Amino acid sequence: MANEATAAHGSHDHHPHGWRRWLYSTNHKDIGTMYIILSIVAAIIGGAMSVLIRLELMYPGIQFITDFQFYNVLVTGHAFLMVFFVVMPAMFGGFGNWFVPLMIGAPDMAFPRMNNISFWLVAAALVLLLISAFTQGGPGTGWTVYPPLSNVEYHPGPAVDLGILSLHLAGASSILGAINLIVTIFNMRAPGMTMHRMPLFVWSILVTAFLLLLAIPVLAGGLTMLLTDRNFGTSFFETSGGGDPILWQHLFWFFGHPEVYIIIIPGFGIISQVISTFSKKPIFGYLGMAYAMVFIGFVGFVVWAHHMYTAGLDADTRAYFVAATLVIAVPTGVKIFSWLATMWGGSLEFPAPMLFACGFIFLFVMGGVTGVALANSGMDLAWHDTYFVVAHFHYVMAIAAVLSIFAGFYYWIGKMSGRQYPKTLAKIHFWMFFIGVNVLFFPQHFLGMAGMPRRIPDYPDNYWGWNYVSSIGALITSISTVLFLFIVWRTFAAGDKVPANQWGEGATTLEWTVDSPAPFHTHEVLPDMTVQAPAE
Amino acid sequence: MASGEKTHPFHMVEPSKWPVVGVLGAFITAIGAVWYMQGGANWVLLAGLAVLFYCMYGWWREVVHEANNGADHTEVVRHGLRMGMVLFIASEVMFFFAFFWAFFNATVPMLSKAAHTVWPPEGVIPLDPFGLPFINTIILLSSGVTVTYAHHMLKLNNHARCADGLFLTVALGLIFTCAQAYEYAHATFGFTDGIYSSTFYLATGFHGFHVIVGTLFLGVCYWRCKLGHFTPEQHVGFEAAAWYWHFVDVVWLFLFGCVYWWGGLGYMHG
Amino acid sequence: MGIIRSRLFVLVPAIGLAIVFLAETAVAAGRSEPWQMWFQPAASPVMERIIEFHNFIFIIEVLIVVLVLVLMGYIIIRFNAKSNPVPSKTTHNTILEVAWTAVPLLLVIIIAVPSLKLLYYADRIEEGEMTLKVIGNQWYWSYEYPDHGAFAFDSIIIEDENLEPGQPRLLSVDNSVVLPAETNIRLLFTSADVIHNWAVPSLGLKLDAVPGRVNESWVRINSEGDYYGMCSELCGVNHGFMPVHIKAVSKADFAAWVEQAKQEFAGENSNAGVRVAKADTRVR
Ligand code: HEA
Ligand code: HEA
Ligand code: CUA
Ligand SMILES: [Cu+2]
Repeated sequence: MANEATAAHGSHDHHPHGWRRWLYSTNHKDIGTMYIILSIVAAIIGGAMSVLIRLELMYPGIQFITDFQFYNVLVTGHAFLMVFFVVMPAMFGGFGNWFVPLMIGAPDMAFPRMNNISFWLVAAALVLLLISAFTQGGPGTGWTVYPPLSNVEYHPGPAVDLGILSLHLAGASSILGAINLIVTIFNMRAPGMTMHRMPLFVWSILVTAFLLLLAIPVLAGGLTMLLTDRNFGTSFFETSGGGDPILWQHLFWFFGHPEVYIIIIPGFGIISQVISTFSKKPIFGYLGMAYAMVFIGFVGFVVWAHHMYTAGLDADTRAYFVAATLVIAVPTGVKIFSWLATMWGGSLEFPAPMLFACGFIFLFVMGGVTGVALANSGMDLAWHDTYFVVAHFHYVMAIAAVLSIFAGFYYWIGKMSGRQYPKTLAKIHFWMFFIGVNVLFFPQHFLGMAGMPRRIPDYPDNYWGWNYVSSIGALITSISTVLFLFIVWRTFAAGDKVPANQWGEGATTLEWTVDSPAPFHTHEVLPDMTVQAPAE
Repeated sequence: MASGEKTHPFHMVEPSKWPVVGVLGAFITAIGAVWYMQGGANWVLLAGLAVLFYCMYGWWREVVHEANNGADHTEVVRHGLRMGMVLFIASEVMFFFAFFWAFFNATVPMLSKAAHTVWPPEGVIPLDPFGLPFINTIILLSSGVTVTYAHHMLKLNNHARCADGLFLTVALGLIFTCAQAYEYAHATFGFTDGIYSSTFYLATGFHGFHVIVGTLFLGVCYWRCKLGHFTPEQHVGFEAAAWYWHFVDVVWLFLFGCVYWWGGLGYMHG
Repeated sequence: MGIIRSRLFVLVPAIGLAIVFLAETAVAAGRSEPWQMWFQPAASPVMERIIEFHNFIFIIEVLIVVLVLVLMGYIIIRFNAKSNPVPSKTTHNTILEVAWTAVPLLLVIIIAVPSLKLLYYADRIEEGEMTLKVIGNQWYWSYEYPDHGAFAFDSIIIEDENLEPGQPRLLSVDNSVVLPAETNIRLLFTSADVIHNWAVPSLGLKLDAVPGRVNESWVRINSEGDYYGMCSELCGVNHGFMPVHIKAVSKADFAAWVEQAKQEFAGENSNAGVRVAKADTRVR
């Protein structure tokens, strides 16, 4: 087919070499690779910060963080890194760049040059964030950056401003990336690749891109107001000038809630591909799956104030947000049950990606039902700002989303590198990570039930027990992460070569029709999909 | 599939230095802005902005070359470019959404306990909406007409008339900006005078900024029109500029209706 | 790191022992216990209802998680490549798809009804028999008793080294807030600087103290005793160190305490007032 031909002429045109290849890149695969590398680097830093947090919380009393501002900066930096510089670059920038063009049969992205600036903007934003953390006390505001605490009276100095500008750059990157992916998906599908034939991963990226496109600018607006409040004397969030600190919370969460779906929806896409492949079955209820994501994305825009139940909103407003939030359980349930139905009747195999996918389904439901519990404003009185919330969102983000990243990584690393990962080690990695994160985050539910507040560097002695267990879990998890890094190294250093389709009959999407590693240019002759129906 | 022969309608862009130049500019601008806001000198900021402008110039020049070489901007690619512009405008709409939210948060008690029951707040003398702002509305609306006129002329392949239309549009844009500057200079409330000023200046200020960007964009189109870059079929750059201009126009109508007129009612009656 | 390692060996057993000892002697109400996995016992009608509602929703949640887990376990055993070498090609089943949309929707409605009831109950401002005004400060709470001569005082954490036996670490304050039990109390919250949050888990109380606003809630403490809580909104460096300690006493004891407190805190009255006033007119 087309691919052999492209492979033969692999570097027929200006295949750039050396540093220019990366710095000036207009190639979706190279850019995707850079995103993934950045994500791993940020994961190491953000993970190290979280381990420091857990070491501090391992015992009551002050362990080694005597400067509580530093503790708050750790929490803030950890969250920003993980959310904006680990998960988003890995899934949206990394896998999105690599596999959307491959899966829809396009030769590259719609705007390759813009694609490049999207990546380097994140890199610059990462540097700004790290500078921010280490200037004059750093931003000890939490990732929610609530004023007045983030205002200039309480955070003088450049740290918060640097953080704001870092988010501005990361946001600009996301908006450009979103435009790029949407246009690619709408405009560059191969002949016959109709919307309703697109692999679900492409659908997931499409929905995510729309969430980014419409949510990030609202954060940008809020950040701009915060910046002018801090530096130019405006009063958006300043009570003394007639402003309103709660306005920030609305703007932040109007962005923030879609943001959490930005984090998980590409994961839904990855899991769909993996489950279908290793069940050797097409996805069950494909259309329902696609439109469930659309619906989740849509409703995701009208539930934001469930993060503000204790801010003093009136009861009727909260009642609305309770109802709207609960509704999201329905399309999410459709996804869970459709995955199970896809596996039902399949001929299941369990290489590492499938293990991660199964772990995802189970643990995402765990995190999902605690979310549904939190949605009840009346009960949230007991849980808001406690470790119950921390447990909830780590189940959906640090566990579910990260499991899906690993699933995608093992699923596609053969395609990306041309090398087989060490299979047994990968399974060990799964089990260590799986056990580690559960030991780490499950006890946090108990701490939250018992009333332990979040964002504190020390706690009343009676909370010690489960904190200790949680910290042990963090250590297990970080060892598993070291193992992961070793696996990456092993794959590149000594992995066997893999064929174009390493997964066999279940892998029906287009990326498995091109060589491994995928050549520099692919689909230069557009695959004709008018006869095959890949997704159904 | 001989080498170099393209078998698809898409644009495989050559590697380019402009993105990293742009990021460098953005990074220096960010650092410079923080330094400046912390009371430092402003030359880092200015240097960063200079690099950014250099990037824009170089990048867009590249794009213009590609648009003119007759090969890269196929029908499909142009379709994609138009789509991209629409999406970009959608994100811009959400950016203004935030500022309108701030405005209504301060004025509509249903939205916030901190909303002011008297608006404009006591002591603020708002601008008369039917003075300069109204004239500005007319200016912007007419500029919408002139840009549509230019578009029609372009479709009729009448480049001279098209350029005339664009010239008028740019001129109207400039007049609008001057009028806005005059209005700012003569307003009775300063930039830092509380929430009224904050919402007013940032909402209208960002709009003004978009007017300037749109004027530049149309200016480039004027110049390209003169140079004969556009054909009745192929003029994505023009369309993008025109859409952007209409978007700026619509934002103004909302600003005029909500901030100037509705937001001033409390004063006139009270 | 050396510190951590050495503590690992010394502190684990030491604290373990201490906790076993404490667990024997500590009074069980008003704060968490070692290894606690559940809510603190309810000490107010709101908290009673929260626990009631939780018991209900918890069953639904567990059933959902167990259902998914069991289904997955069954599928993994029944349909793995060894047991089922030839995959089926089924991709649709309308009845199933409708069912797994409708049933969760139904569940959601079943959850929503009592949830909204609880919401309105917790929000309702009962006919207050008295009012307590709570003011957040970096990093302590001030309390004002507007119905009792408006005396006011600050409530500041006791440093570890000054703790007396029986005073829990990080929860004890110099002046606890004294309230009558079995009384409907109206609560008003505001802040003098950044946003804080006044939270007492065993009373089901949690509301932000926002500068420039007054938020309102209510509480009825079921019985006399000590109830502890902590600030629950990140408010800066010492966010973890501004606890709440409520001493609930009988109405008679409360009246007596008021008389004594009026004397004791006479000087502070104006102080708190000034602070709030200052907060309102703070200029940049
Ligand atoms: C990936 C990220 C992610 C995801 C997917 C979710 C998913 C959900 N979240 Fe979560 N959430 C966060 C990230 C995420 N959240 C973060 C980061 C915070 C804290 C931010 C901060 O304060 O710092 C937070 C906080 C948070 C709060 C605020 C708590 C507080 O601060 O007091 C609430 C309250 O409503 C909430 C609710 C929900 C709900 C209802 C879902 C739903 O989407 C879940 C839906 C899924 C299921 C329900 C499971 C599958 C469904 C079935 C098997 C069907 C049957 C089920 C039922 C009928 C119940 N979340
Ligand atoms: C995706 C987001 C994410 C992730 C992955 C994590 C991971 C972890 N988090 Fe995170 N955390 C947050 C998001 C996340 N967290 C947020 C938003 C907050 C709230 C902050 C606030 O209050 O403002 C928070 C707060 C928070 C707290 C509460 C602090 C406090 O309130 O005082 C704690 C405490 O235990 C904690 C611990 C941990 C630990 C031990 C991990 C461990 O799991 C870390 C181990 C994991 C790794 C080392 C990396 C894993 C690998 C990858 C992610 C992918 C690699 C990439 C490729 C393969 C391409 N976190
Ligand atoms: Cu006060 Cu946190
Ligand atoms: Cu949310």
